Amino acid sequence: MAKRARYCKKVRSIAKKEVGELMREKTFMLSVLIQLFIASFSTFLVIGLTSFYDPTIMGDIEMQGISVAVVGTEENELYKLLQESKINTRLYSDLTPAYGDFYEHKVDAIVIAPPGPPEGTDILNVDIYLPKSEIKATLISLQLKEPLEKFEQHVRDIRTQRLPGYSPLEININKRGIKTSSTYFEFIFVALLPLLVFTPAFISGGLVIDFITEEFERKTMELLLVTPASMLEIVSGKVLVAVAIVPLQALAWMLLLSMNGISIMNFFTILLVVTLIGLILVLTSSIISAIFRERGVAQLLYSMVLIFLFMASYLFTNSPLNLVTRLSIDSIGASESALWVGLYTLVALALCMLTVATVKNTYKNN
Amino acid sequence: MSGWFTIAKWEFFRSKLKFDSRSAILLTLTLALVIAASFAAAQTQMSMNQKIYTAASTEPALRPILESDQRFSYLPVTIYDATQFYMYGADFVIIGNNVYLGDNPKSAAAGSALENTVKEYREIVLTSYDDINNSHPVWVTVHDIERPQNFQLLSAQGAAGSLDTGRDSGSNERSHQGYPKGEITTEYLNAGSSFTLPQDISDLDDYKARSFFQKQTLSTPSFFSPPIPFTAILYAFLFIFPIYFISQFYSTSIMDERTNKKGELILAAPLSSRDIVIGKTLPYILVTLLIQAVITLYIMGIPADIRTAQSSLLILAAILPVVLLFFALSFFGAILSRSFKELTFTSVFLSVMISGYLFFPAMFTNIHAISSISPITLIVRLIEGETLLIGTYLFSTLPFYFVAFSAFLFGTYIYREEDLFTQKAVSEKITDCLEIFLLNPYGSVFLLSIIFIPFVYMTQLMLIVMLFNLPAPHSVIVMIALSAMAEELVKSAGIYTIFKRKLQLVTMRNAFRLAVLSGTGFFVGEKAVAVLTLAPIASSAFGAVMTMGTLLLIPLLLHISTAAVSSIVMYRFGTRRYLLSVILATVVHSAYNLFILRGVLFG
Repeated sequence: MAKRARYCKKVRSIAKKEVGELMREKTFMLSVLIQLFIASFSTFLVIGLTSFYDPTIMGDIEMQGISVAVVGTEENELYKLLQESKINTRLYSDLTPAYGDFYEHKVDAIVIAPPGPPEGTDILNVDIYLPKSEIKATLISLQLKEPLEKFEQHVRDIRTQRLPGYSPLEININKRGIKTSSTYFEFIFVALLPLLVFTPAFISGGLVIDFITEEFERKTMELLLVTPASMLEIVSGKVLVAVAIVPLQALAWMLLLSMNGISIMNFFTILLVVTLIGLILVLTSSIISAIFRERGVAQLLYSMVLIFLFMASYLFTNSPLNLVTRLSIDSIGASESALWVGLYTLVALALCMLTVATVKNTYKNN
Repeated sequence: MSGWFTIAKWEFFRSKLKFDSRSAILLTLTLALVIAASFAAAQTQMSMNQKIYTAASTEPALRPILESDQRFSYLPVTIYDATQFYMYGADFVIIGNNVYLGDNPKSAAAGSALENTVKEYREIVLTSYDDINNSHPVWVTVHDIERPQNFQLLSAQGAAGSLDTGRDSGSNERSHQGYPKGEITTEYLNAGSSFTLPQDISDLDDYKARSFFQKQTLSTPSFFSPPIPFTAILYAFLFIFPIYFISQFYSTSIMDERTNKKGELILAAPLSSRDIVIGKTLPYILVTLLIQAVITLYIMGIPADIRTAQSSLLILAAILPVVLLFFALSFFGAILSRSFKELTFTSVFLSVMISGYLFFPAMFTNIHAISSISPITLIVRLIEGETLLIGTYLFSTLPFYFVAFSAFLFGTYIYREEDLFTQKAVSEKITDCLEIFLLNPYGSVFLLSIIFIPFVYMTQLMLIVMLFNLPAPHSVIVMIALSAMAEELVKSAGIYTIFKRKLQLVTMRNAFRLAVLSGTGFFVGEKAVAVLTLAPIASSAFGAVMTMGTLLLIPLLLHISTAAVSSIVMYRFGTRRYLLSVILATVVHSAYNLFILRGVLFG
């Protein structure tokens, strides 16, 4: 018992030393700044780009002052569908005046409606001319997609009857007035949230490499080992600090997201998962750095392992990233999540034992 | 020649020795694992959205359709249970042909996901018929054609008066210059592009497969999508990943020599610090370029003719400034930081910043001309088979060369014992390099302000990204304040160094003289950047704004007077009040900018 208390005390003093150094160098602030940047960059992507690429979120305001020239006749089905849409259309019977107006910025795109009848057998080709390198081109092509799909559906309704045995799948979705597209929703919960809560864990893994290799390269490890602390206690103290800061940062992120109106379910289970993964990563990188002692090599190996784990998590359901997503939107049952949290705990425990064994093995003399 | 060459040779062999057989084996092993996992992940369509929605259904026939999309987990229910689907945690229920959604955002998202799944399923079924004229009867061909741009710049000068008049006069001047005469036919507009309509169903797959790496030009309406910006990110990652790693080794090597003091021996050798820096840097740059060349070959294939060989070389030319910038900043970071932790944070921070600068504009490739400020855009264009003008190349790479060169220059200045092997504060080290620059016969605050412009320019671009999240009028105001602060910091840094290190007498006269020099330098640099920046975007429409004679005097006076504010505060209260002086100057500067932009902000 007394031995255990002494161990804890030594670990604590090593941990205190590392925290003190972190605070003194103010580098920790830099890491917070990095995360802030990643977060704002991602939200910039979410709100800026997904709304830009999602015509349902975008209002009608952007289409004001943009009009499209349609070359064709009054009776053309595509022209009728375009008129029904949000696009301002102008009908031309010939391409020459349409191009003249396009050149003078009176219209911003030219659509050549195919003259062939839907009942025919030839492919109907719609030529679309867009202004190169102008933002309007993207706005127009976004708005054109829906009428074009309707046109395709219209022609298909006639022509697919000629396909033997084809019966179209009719599904009628009753919407309830909540305007959300799946891209937007999935971007927040599948990409942004896991990225934000796991970044502290990724950073801590790299941090512990610096903690340990620095002592070797500065030749201060010998000094530390002269003190009553053993190698195992030194490493434990460093691991403790690196892991402890993970849930703190993750919590800050989740609170920030909640303040922005993104409701996250299973708050504490997510924190637990993040801490476990942080522990797994920190232990992995302390094993690596205890063996190699060379910062460049250790960091490179750690990054490779990290990329491997990241890629591997695409491969199965309830990978840490997927688990956080499913927890946050309550798409997972209590027993299933408990099973997987238990599984990750086992992995962390196994790594704990591996770390102890490696450190004891490598530094037998101490 | 021999000095730096010896160092380079030495550095090269030494860094190879770091890898013993054990770490080499482990590295190859993890690399193989990474490749295997990425390959497997690519097969599963690369997404982490497994089972995020729960679909309850009374129709067993729909099960295979729902399970073809990994986002859904399927829950069979009886008609009796169906009305209470939300009790079972389902997001929607399918009864017959009808889908009923729950009343929360998640259900709405699930409904929109289901809509796409059904659409995709229909395409799969139709594709199985080998009868393209009836299954895919409509095709869309997109052509991008040039027309004179009418470009507006929302700058201080632009907002001041030319906003209303600029638009009308611009369109009148522009009409009928270079406009083709005679009748326009589709053949005329399609010149140079050759699209043939698909003959049978197997062509459909070709068009689909191609759209990921190439610009989509021909598709059916269901597959019709606006230019995907994310391919650019993919390229950027492919090229930039090796640079991250190698710059890590580079900065570690420099830091290493600082912590274990081996560097002192090299400094004692009869070599100039320039030789040492070149010798230590060159091997890493060469290895990186070699890797970049391999990546280029991988993407472009073995060049078959002069044209592809030329674009491969141009890709390398576009990546070179990026490599230089990464190395220059990690070099500078390695000299400034006091420990490995600090170095890690600094280099990650800088990498994230540069990547942001590279990725963000590249997402607008094919959307807007402004995207060419990032070299990655050039690479994307070259891969798409476009040509590159020398003006565009200079436009996007000059800031990179410039920042890289000055970072190396300033770093070399303090590559000496007293800065490398002592625990000097970061601000002291920066003051050191400014001092050496100013002591140089050609160095002056005028030149210093010009040198700092690309830094300010890059910082301001980053600020736009960071501040996007704040609500509209606030974000603009914070942006104005912070970018004014960046400019004031840069303008006063030289004056601070001169007063702090007593390079010139601290008198009122000098304070004023230096402010004029620094302000004018910044103004000249800013205008040079404006000319360079806007020339490739809009040569004609912007010319009018650039030649507005009287309006230019006001910004010049502003830059001088705000620099004077900080320099006089420093003269009066000493350099310890540096922060206060910068804040005061920022307040004046922001007030002016707010006044100029008042119409846009509040009107």
